[in-house]
Amino acid sequence: MWYEVAYVAGVTHALDAVADGLRLPLEFSAASRPRLVTLPDDVGPESQALLAEIATFYAMDRAPAVFRWMSRDAAFLQGYWGATRAAFSDGILDRRLKEILALAASITAKSDYGVDFHLREARRLGLTEPALTEVVEVVQLFNTVTKIADTLRLEPDFDPRPGGVHAPGSPSDGRRARRPVSASTRPQEPRGRQSTTPAATGRARGRS
Amino acid sequence: MEIVPVTEVSALAPEDQKFCEATKAWFRIDFVPKMSRVLLTVPEFGRPYGRASRRAMSDGALTRGQKELIAATVSAINVCEY
Repeated sequence: MWYEVAYVAGVTHALDAVADGLRLPLEFSAASRPRLVTLPDDVGPESQALLAEIATFYAMDRAPAVFRWMSRDAAFLQGYWGATRAAFSDGILDRRLKEILALAASITAKSDYGVDFHLREARRLGLTEPALTEVVEVVQLFNTVTKIADTLRLEPDFDPRPGGVHAPGSPSDGRRARRPVSASTRPQEPRGRQSTTPAATGRARGRS
Repeated sequence: MEIVPVTEVSALAPEDQKFCEATKAWFRIDFVPKMSRVLLTVPEFGRPYGRASRRAMSDGALTRGQKELIAATVSAINVCEY
């Protein structure tokens, strides 16, 4: 599971960096920004087929601009799209949750392109407004504590490796404990039926 | 190297020590995380922050486990080792 989280974080961060770095047009927002590069219009048949597949994956009329940029090099596009598709397909984590993680990564990285894109994708895959509120709350909370921790240069409480051995210098140094993150990371419902679905919003915390 | 001494639980107000016990139960660990002690060092900050945190991290439209994954992703993007 942690590999899936890492792949999503890595691919999202890279695509956001390219798209925002080159000021590629946002996919869904009406906002415009000065474009620094020209996206290719005429690509070879290999890239055309890949772009069509990508558009289908995202239920869009045409592939997102960041992939159209990559179509300048068909071999690179083929490889990177293959990795992206694998990272965002259903696995131990379902595709909707992966898009939620990508949205969290994009908000944290302040990526206009990423927030625009992954907010639309997460909603398309069933993210409800109460769930979106919760996502943003968690993002806000952990952007707070990570900056506090970095400002004070706090050393980890845990050895990050599986098993949860306390880090040197922690209050219970040398004793084993369950790690907070691993204690409840598995979705509570079967894959594909997690509670981010619209039908499940009635179970939210009384929010409307 | 931490640039401040992290407050010991015994130095916190009694009600904050109680909150620390609840934190241990929440995470199913046998010690109080440094962040909890840092936040509660200034109770006017830590108490309301703790309430907001507990509310936001509880099961809701998303499960607590899903929220922990979001938290891990934010930490990764911020390159925060803690």
